[in-house]
Amino acid sequence: MNREEEFINYNAPADLNRWRTIALGIGGIFSIVILGIAVFFPEQREQALRSWLLGFIFWGGIGIGGLGILILQHLTGGAWGIVIRRIAEACSRTLPIIAVLFVPIAVGVATHSIYEWTHLIGTDDKIVEWKQPYLTEHWFIIRAALYFVLWGIMAYFLNKWSLQQDQTDDFETALKMAEDLSKFSGPTMVFYVLVVSFAAIDWVMTLDPHWFSTIWGLLFAVSWALSCFCFSVALLAVLANKAPLNRILGSRHFQDIGKLMLALVMVWAYFNFSQFLIIWSGNLPEETRWYLTRMEGTWGVIGILLIVFHFAFPFLVLLNRDLKRNAKWLAATAIFILILRLVDMFYLIGPSPQIGMDGKSADFMNSFSWMYLVAPLGVGGIWLWYFFGELMKRPLVPINDPYLESAINHGKGH
Amino acid sequence: MDKKIYGLLAEFDTPTQLVEAANKIREAGYKKTDAFSPFPIHEIDEALGIKRSILPFMVLGGGIAGLLTGIGLQVFVHVIDYPIIVGGRPHFSLPSFIPSAFELTILFASFAAVFGMILLNGLPQPYHPVFNVPRFALATREKFFLLIERKDPKFDYDETRNFMQSLNAQEVFDVEE
Repeated sequence: MNREEEFINYNAPADLNRWRTIALGIGGIFSIVILGIAVFFPEQREQALRSWLLGFIFWGGIGIGGLGILILQHLTGGAWGIVIRRIAEACSRTLPIIAVLFVPIAVGVATHSIYEWTHLIGTDDKIVEWKQPYLTEHWFIIRAALYFVLWGIMAYFLNKWSLQQDQTDDFETALKMAEDLSKFSGPTMVFYVLVVSFAAIDWVMTLDPHWFSTIWGLLFAVSWALSCFCFSVALLAVLANKAPLNRILGSRHFQDIGKLMLALVMVWAYFNFSQFLIIWSGNLPEETRWYLTRMEGTWGVIGILLIVFHFAFPFLVLLNRDLKRNAKWLAATAIFILILRLVDMFYLIGPSPQIGMDGKSADFMNSFSWMYLVAPLGVGGIWLWYFFGELMKRPLVPINDPYLESAINHGKGH
Repeated sequence: MDKKIYGLLAEFDTPTQLVEAANKIREAGYKKTDAFSPFPIHEIDEALGIKRSILPFMVLGGGIAGLLTGIGLQVFVHVIDYPIIVGGRPHFSLPSFIPSAFELTILFASFAAVFGMILLNGLPQPYHPVFNVPRFALATREKFFLLIERKDPKFDYDETRNFMQSLNAQEVFDVEE
């Protein structure tokens, strides 16, 4: 088989075109509904934008998490990294659409219609007053732009060199590209986690401007990576039945990614518990209020459900070796975790104080809205449409990676 | 055959030959067998028909025992035996019990893993008859060995020896007891 044929054969299946159309259809309709409400119904504007934020954090998190996984697998190497790389690269190339999806939130901040702190500026709120050097509308938007630029630089180089590796004919050059990618990924990982930290604090933590948590950024770095792993497993399980990946994916690849999912499920629980234990031990009113809201009534039930179904259940299920080696079962577990990821994001965003509540949180009945269900579909459809487009631009495996062959053989082993 | 025989040991040059031979002796119905190699060969478990280890369940058991010990110890100390108020919190404060219970879970699970592994491997074992074959020292360097013990119900000195010879073995050794 000559190189040209090989290149053509590794391209994504044409079915993706149909998926793109469906995704755009669903995403377009629901996005128009949500954004239409935000524009034409001022009373519903805040709710619409908060729902949009939920969808944005969930789907944008998969894209940004993909950038993190891309950096991680260049650093660690391994067969799982080679089979997941093109999905992670496609995720990282969705940054432009994630930035576009951020626009409604930026407009919401500029028009004072989403974050409560935009209304507390200039009042006698001492905490918000003290945070003034950081927490202002234009500085919020400039920072967001900066995050996208920094992530964009990382994604740009990782994708550029990977493409060059695909196009080279020379083994030595391909090996050198792999080494360059690995060297670039070391320091980049540090900056990636820092940028994620700032972004998570800006976009989600400031919903409750009086509350703070220092592990918040790491929690999001981990959650987003977990989301992206689950998304990738679900996608790989579908692609494993079709050319070209049916010749490449083996049960052991799924087992390896399953192990990483297990690790991230545990880290998610570990970080969340750390945050809870420190606040619970400190027992200070400015911190405990955040948890007290989330432990009462329906919010408390959701919290228990998260412990059971976002941690205990996937933890026990993913311990099983046979389940991890079965693509279908692992994909089912992954989709289950993905749904719980959305619930987890809702648990962080939903109870936060709304505008005009003077920093008080709302109970479940007063915070829930049908828009929380619709907006993630809207944002998700648009994101998936863009994602599949990016995924189809390159072969589904890095065809000239020096370790490709050993990675394929690894999948077939025991 | 005056010397007491422990079993027969066949020497091979490559791991592929070892796995092929192991497959054949399993198909021939031998049960008391073992393979020796300088590095792990994943296929050999299947070839020799070795069942999956129960070690994972021992580790799980150790972990659960550790968790119960951790919770139980703290409940006993803080609630039953010497209840004093610390930091204004109730005697039974589950969040503050979790870190220690977690540590004991890991500790007991590790103990179960290490000692279970030693136990299941039949260690410590200061004497093993295979070392009576001088060439067996090469099992740590470049040669691959396959053993059939005399205890095997199918073991018959001449027949088994001829059978092992027919498996492309370099040489078949008698292992003295």
